Amino acid sequence: MQPLHARYPFLSAAREAVQTAGVDLAAVVADEPAVVERALGRVEGALQEGTVGEPHRRTRVELLSYPVARVLVSVVDEHVLVHKYARAEAATAHERFSEELAADTDLRSTRAATLRLADLLAEFDLDGAVRETPEGYRVGVGAYLQHAADQWGEEWRLVNRELQDGEVPLTEAELLVLLRQAVRHRVEEGLPLDVPDSVATHLEGHTDRVEELLAELELTRDIDTVVPDLFPPCMQHLLDRIQKGEHLEHHSRFAIASFLTSIGMSTDDIVEMFQVNPGFGEEVTRYQVNHIRGATSPTEYSPPSCATMQSYGDCVNMDDLCEEISHPMGYYEAKLDDTEEEELVDWRERQESKS
Amino acid sequence: MEERTRAYLRGRFGDYYRRADLSPPPDANEREWGYVPWTEGPGATYVRHNSLLDLGDIETFLARERPRHVYFSAGRYRDPSASTMSEKSWLSSDLVFDLDADHLPATSPEDTYREMLATCKDALLRLLDFLERDFGFEDLTVAFSGSRGYHVHVRDEAVQYLERDARREIVDYVRATGLTAEGLVGTEMRETVTVRVLPTDGGWGRRVHERLLEFVAELEAMDREAALARLQELEGIGEGRARTVYGTIQNNREAIERGNLEAGGVGLRTLVDSLVGEVAAAENAPIDEPVTTDTNRLIRLPGSLHGGSGLAVRRVPRGDIEAFDPLVDAVPETFRSHDITVEVTDGGRVELGGDSFTLQEREHTVPEYLGVFLMCRGRAEKGKE
Repeated sequence: MQPLHARYPFLSAAREAVQTAGVDLAAVVADEPAVVERALGRVEGALQEGTVGEPHRRTRVELLSYPVARVLVSVVDEHVLVHKYARAEAATAHERFSEELAADTDLRSTRAATLRLADLLAEFDLDGAVRETPEGYRVGVGAYLQHAADQWGEEWRLVNRELQDGEVPLTEAELLVLLRQAVRHRVEEGLPLDVPDSVATHLEGHTDRVEELLAELELTRDIDTVVPDLFPPCMQHLLDRIQKGEHLEHHSRFAIASFLTSIGMSTDDIVEMFQVNPGFGEEVTRYQVNHIRGATSPTEYSPPSCATMQSYGDCVNMDDLCEEISHPMGYYEAKLDDTEEEELVDWRERQESKS
Repeated sequence: MEERTRAYLRGRFGDYYRRADLSPPPDANEREWGYVPWTEGPGATYVRHNSLLDLGDIETFLARERPRHVYFSAGRYRDPSASTMSEKSWLSSDLVFDLDADHLPATSPEDTYREMLATCKDALLRLLDFLERDFGFEDLTVAFSGSRGYHVHVRDEAVQYLERDARREIVDYVRATGLTAEGLVGTEMRETVTVRVLPTDGGWGRRVHERLLEFVAELEAMDREAALARLQELEGIGEGRARTVYGTIQNNREAIERGNLEAGGVGLRTLVDSLVGEVAAAENAPIDEPVTTDTNRLIRLPGSLHGGSGLAVRRVPRGDIEAFDPLVDAVPETFRSHDITVEVTDGGRVELGGDSFTLQEREHTVPEYLGVFLMCRGRAEKGKE
C-alpha cells in the first residue's frame, strides 16, 4: 500500500494492493474504527462539501476507507447518495491530479510515486483514444461521449464541438474534466454493492448519520403552492414571530427562508410576506434569501430536517402528522396531498387580488 | 385483406426467400430476431425474443415461415432469446439511424411517393456527410427500408458500448438540436486580449463558417448600396452595424476567413447568430430519434421483403446511392417475370418498376410486382382464379 494508492484509491493498482495485503473488509469494519470513521468522513464530505474531505495521515486507513465508504453508501442505498458520493470522489481526485500534473514540470515527474497523465489515460483505457496536438488534445468521439454525455454545461454538448474525422479537440483542462468524469463513472460502477448483514450491522450508527444528512438534503419534489395554513407548526411559528417583528436568530431565519424558497416563493414574495411588520430588515432578508437560492453563492440550500430543527429548539407545537415525517417539507407535501385542489388558495393569488 | 390474398402473398414471399441471398448481419447469433407472420384480422402478431438457436439458420427459417416482416436487433446479448432485457444481458449495440419520409419536415401530404423518397434521400446524403466527415465512421451499411425511407447501420467499434445518453448526443448533433451561436463561438487568447472565434475546422462551426463565407461572397458581388440593404434585412442589424460589417469585409476579410468575430463588431456577431439558425434548418438530418437512442431496437433485415409494400429492403452500396431509384431498384426480381389479376379496391396513379399506372377500382391484369405492391398496401385483393 503506497501513498499514491491512498490518494487515488479507485485505481486498479490500489485495489490490487488491498487484495495483495489480504485485507478482509468485514474484519476491518468490525475492528478498525479509524477506517470506519474516515469512511464516514468521505461520505459526510460528499454530502456537505462535494469532496471527500481531508485525508487521514495513515496510508492504510486512508486507502481502506475508500472500499468501506462504498460499503456504507451501499447499505444506505439511495440513488442520490451514490450520485453525490461518486461526484465527490471524482472532484477530490480531479483536484489532486490537476495539482500534481501542473507540478510535473519539475523533477518529480521521474518519481514513480507520482501520477502521470499517461498513467491516468491508460487506467481508463483512454490511451488509444487520446492524442496530443500542438493546440491541446484530440479525443475519439466514442470515448468522448462515454464520459462527456452526462457532464453539465452547454460547452460539453457534442453539437457545439469541433468534431472532425471522429475526433473532438479538447484543451488540457477539458481533458482533465473528462478524466474526472471517468473517475466518477468508475466509482459509480457496481454501486450499490451487495453487503452481507454481518457487515451492515457493524455500520448501523454510521448509516443512521448518513441517512440523517440525506434527510436534510432531501431534494424535494417541485412544489409551487403557497398555503400558509398548511405549513408545518414549526414554520408557522417562525412566520408568526417574524410578522410580529421579533428578532430571529440566524438559524431560524435560515430555516423559514429556505422553506419558503423550496415551495416556490420568489425573493419578492418572501419580502412581502415578512413585511407585515414595518420593523423588519428588508435588505437583510433579500440578501439572505438570494443567498439561499444560490443567486449570490455557489450552493442552493435546502431547508433543515426535523432533527436539525429540534436541535436548534425550532421544533414547536408538534402534531400527529409530525410524528410521521422527518422533514418539514414532508409535512407540507402530505398536507397538500390531503387537501382538495379547489380548496387550495395560493397566498400569492390573494396578494394579487388585493393590489 | 382476404384469405386468398394473404395465402398468395405468403406463397410468393416464400418463393422470394428461397432464392434470396440475405447475408445476415455480423454476430447474428447474439442478436434478437423478431417477425410478423401473415395472420388474419387487424392487430399484427409480433413474434419477438427469438435467437437463431430458436429459428435455426435464417435463410431456411424465412423460406419455411415466409413472414410478412422480419427484424433483428441492433443490440447483441449474452442470451438473446430471454424474454426481458435484463435477462438478455446486453453486450453492445450498433448505432442505427432511421430516416422516414413521414417524419421529414420538408415533405407535404401532397407529395408523390417518388417525391417523398427523393426528399428522404437528400436527408440521407446529409446524414452520411455527418457520419463520415464529422464522426469518421467507417463501417456503414445503408439500406432502403422497403417503404418510406432509409436505414443506416453503423458498426464501428467506437459506438458499440455507448449508452442511451451518449447516443442522444449523436442524435442532437445530426439534428442540430441545441445548436446556438453562443454554444458554438469560443474564445481564444490572442496576445493579451480574448477574441471571439467561430471554429472553422470541424463540426457545425465549419458549416456555419462556410455559409458565412458564401454570404460574404454574395455581398461582394453586389454594389455597396445593395450590400448594405441586404445586411439590414437581418434582424438586429441597422445602418451603423451594416456599415461596420461591410467595412470589415472590405478591409479585413482575412479575419473573417480565420473565424475571428471581433473584427466586424456586434454586426458580424449578429450576422453569425442568424446564419446559425439558417444553417441548422437547412443542413440537419431529421432522423427518428427513438430508433437511434434505443439500444434494444429491432430493425428490418436488409434483403428481406417489406410486407407493407412487397418491395425489398435493399442494401445500397455507398457509391450507388446517388443513382439508386427505390421504385425500380427495390422491385424484387422474383415478381418481375409475369402478370397477375387483382381486384383494385383503392385506385389512383402508381409509379413503380420504371412504369406509371393509372388504376380504376375494378379487376386489372398487371405486372406481378405492381399487384403485390397494391395487395400489400391494402389497395387490392387477389383476383379470383
